[in-house]
Amino acid sequence: MPGDKIYEDLTIIVRRANAVFRAVAILVLLCLCYYWKVQILDYKKYWGLAEANRTRTRVVSAPRGLVRDRNGELLADNQASFKVSLIRDNVKNAAASYPAISKLLGISEGELRSRIERYKNLPPFEPVIIKDGLAPEEIAPIEGRRLEFPELEVAAEPKRFYPKKTTAAHILGYLQERSSEEIRDNPGRGARLGDMGGRAGIERQYDDRLTGTDGAILEIVDSLGRKRSEQVTQDPAPGQEIHLTIDARLQARAEELLGEKEGAIVALDPSTGEILAMASSPRFDPNRFITRFTPEEWVQFINDPASPLENRAARGLYSPGSIFKIVMALTGLDLGYVTDQTTVYCNGSIQIYGTSRACWFAPGHGSMNLVNAIKNSCNIYFYTLGRQMGIDTIAKGAEELGLGRKTGLDIPGEKEGLVPSSEWKMKALKTPWFPGETISVAIGQGQLQVTPLQIAALTAMVANRGTRIVPHLVLDPTNPKTTSPPDAAALSPFKRSTFESVIEGMWRSVNDHGTGQGARVEGLNACGKTGSTQLVSRERAKMLARAGKPIKTHSWFTGFAPRVNPRIVVTVLIEYGGGGGAVAGPVAGQMFSLWKDIYKK
Amino acid sequence: MMFDRRLIQEIDWVLIGLVLLLTFLGVLFIYSSSHFLPKSYYLRQLVWVGISLFAVFLVVAVDYKFLVSFSIYLYFLIVAVLAGSLAFARLVAGTKSWVKFGLFQVQPSELAKVVMILVLARLFAEYKGRYLNTPSTALALLLAGVPLFLIVIQPDLGTALTFLAILGGAFILAGLKKKTILLFLVVSLVVGVVGWNFALKDYQKKRLTTLLNPGQDLRGSGYQIMQSKIAIGSGGLTGKGFMKGSQSQLRFLPARHTDFIFSVIGEEFGFLGVFIILLIYFLMLARMFLSVAKARDRAGVYIIFMASMLIAFQFLINVLMIIGLFPVTGVPLPFVSYGGSSLISNYVACGLILNVKMRRFANV
Repeated sequence: MPGDKIYEDLTIIVRRANAVFRAVAILVLLCLCYYWKVQILDYKKYWGLAEANRTRTRVVSAPRGLVRDRNGELLADNQASFKVSLIRDNVKNAAASYPAISKLLGISEGELRSRIERYKNLPPFEPVIIKDGLAPEEIAPIEGRRLEFPELEVAAEPKRFYPKKTTAAHILGYLQERSSEEIRDNPGRGARLGDMGGRAGIERQYDDRLTGTDGAILEIVDSLGRKRSEQVTQDPAPGQEIHLTIDARLQARAEELLGEKEGAIVALDPSTGEILAMASSPRFDPNRFITRFTPEEWVQFINDPASPLENRAARGLYSPGSIFKIVMALTGLDLGYVTDQTTVYCNGSIQIYGTSRACWFAPGHGSMNLVNAIKNSCNIYFYTLGRQMGIDTIAKGAEELGLGRKTGLDIPGEKEGLVPSSEWKMKALKTPWFPGETISVAIGQGQLQVTPLQIAALTAMVANRGTRIVPHLVLDPTNPKTTSPPDAAALSPFKRSTFESVIEGMWRSVNDHGTGQGARVEGLNACGKTGSTQLVSRERAKMLARAGKPIKTHSWFTGFAPRVNPRIVVTVLIEYGGGGGAVAGPVAGQMFSLWKDIYKK
Repeated sequence: MMFDRRLIQEIDWVLIGLVLLLTFLGVLFIYSSSHFLPKSYYLRQLVWVGISLFAVFLVVAVDYKFLVSFSIYLYFLIVAVLAGSLAFARLVAGTKSWVKFGLFQVQPSELAKVVMILVLARLFAEYKGRYLNTPSTALALLLAGVPLFLIVIQPDLGTALTFLAILGGAFILAGLKKKTILLFLVVSLVVGVVGWNFALKDYQKKRLTTLLNPGQDLRGSGYQIMQSKIAIGSGGLTGKGFMKGSQSQLRFLPARHTDFIFSVIGEEFGFLGVFIILLIYFLMLARMFLSVAKARDRAGVYIIFMASMLIAFQFLINVLMIIGLFPVTGVPLPFVSYGGSSLISNYVACGLILNVKMRRFANV
């Protein structure tokens, strides 16, 4: 053909080109398959990753539940605590801005710069906290100059606040940051590092009830982590409110009466066991745990030999001294060792087991029956009674009356005390009981150890003519105005008439020129018993030696009022206070008097 | 210069339609992925489309035989520009491979690809043997080698790879003996080992190792691949909707409107969107590759094939790269990604195909 030469034979290269296209086509198909796998088969996985990419959950702290006294007075509140953060992205001129900020916030420029330096690896839009724990009034000048400082951000967070400061501090307890172990072991609570948890008192006992449920805000963020929008997914739910049995007025008075002295006062309602006041001195301000101690303050606080954190009312161990004569009298009467008519002659001292034992009143009380022995706190009478009863009978009676075990108080840390017996001594000290020791126990000395709260509970039992109560601090949450009275099973095995005799002695002690007359309140038929103890427990003695204090007498008073249908029990212990009649009695009188002013009108 | 009416009749309007369809879909997604940025990239892209269409008009107007014969001058010109811009970049740090024309910048390496097509077409048009022989292989390697070297040291690995694809395409067409293939494999292995140890920058090495193990470097180059895969995978079957892709709108996706624009499509229109774009591409590539049968002469076949190869290669590399099957090399998606130089060079390549196809009858 003539046209043959116009067109070359290109079949081979066209065929090769087509082969390459077929390879391309296959690759496109394979590509499509892979996209199918990623987009359809792995869709869930990548969708989740995309969601995680664009969202960030910010936790909104929930306020802790409020704590109020029996009249609704706030004891533990929440307060907005402010923190000031610096956003480095917004700093225009560091050289001018940092000195101005340090002046505004009252922190040194070096400290400011070192804080910023510490977080330099965070992205620059991330706020760096430069000062926290600020009160609203401290924030006002910063807010007022907002426009001048676009680099500063102020955020609020609810923080625990105790408006009455040291009042009822030992009851309320305090908060500290939760440890990482605590957070790990309670995943259900959803706590985070930096969250505060109850460490003592009500705050600890009812931590779960008081802790609210933190809210959450879902933030949509971009690739740089900048917030684009937010959406509240869960509102923070505050913790439950708790109503205490405490009467803030009585509590404040009790603390005021203790003043700088070390000691404890317990006031409770014997008909229900509701504690109206439980003071311990020295005190501490639980607010200090929230705003954080300076290191020096903390060291000083921890090393304070007076241990202000100790709740002496429930944890302080003391010899009961003459207060124990109540136990002796009840047990002796009930078991028939003595009757109301039995008399012992007191001439100021007595020879027992070859040693001479003195009464506190050197001239001697003369002929004493049980009622007068209680009124005058005659040692000779109870030495005699103790020798007849023997240690194990005494121990049984003391245990029956609630000594040597916890009263069941609803905050943690209560101490049991100690009621010695021959069996106990054999077990603990591996030596047999010496009869001479019984004589010391008979007047509340020796190894006997009680807490003021135990004495208050015992006194309530006497006031109730045998009905036991469990002292407690929290009103029934279902019916926050009252607590149910103790049930019949709480009745002690002692005869009712036994109590009447002892109460007669206690009444005379206060109202008939007895040792407890300092507690007398006009128009209020108070009954009581004083005590003074020279002996201190071994641990207290050590503490005393450390503090360099002279070992003086502890001063006790416990009593109730009125005599019929008693409504209040007051127990006072003042360390190194001196004689119970002279020091603790009048303090109890002041408590009775205030109670009368409040409740008897 | 006037067009013969017969020439206009022979223009492949279907191909132009497919290319324009891709281009305008591209503008749409450039808008979606950059509307929140201060510059209006979609408007700029439209300007580039206008310039590209004008370039196509120019390319089509001149007989490709003239372009082929004239190509050697263009070749020297582009080598000079490459060398010049490189030398200039050494003096003024950071300007590298860009040449500024007023407001718009052009990458000479992109245009070098088109010139290379013409030069290689001229070289192989003379060669009529069944298989490639040594002298012409050496000459082709030398011709391609000079600009390739200049591009590699810029460094612009993506464009360099495309260059190799054009050259390889030409070799395949000219016919490779088994011996030659073996030789190429050995040489590329040696070059690879030497290059890995002496030539590749750290970030380039990292991209290669990241490909093998993307989880290893989640903040660096692995981050880009991971974010891109998340974008595509989270699109599912139908996608999150136009301008509603969280990965692209919240800027998790890198280079959204340029190299990673296909990830935006995958995220916002899902597998269906991916399928449609791949289908359009397939139709366009078929139209291009199969046009070789319509070429009048050997040079025409080479031009059509190498131009098709240029576009197919970039397309495949890009589509594989953004889903983590190929290292991140900075190869844009032809016609779709934002970028003037790339758009012009791809349009010109397309114009060359049209040129050859419309002049298939010898006596015009």
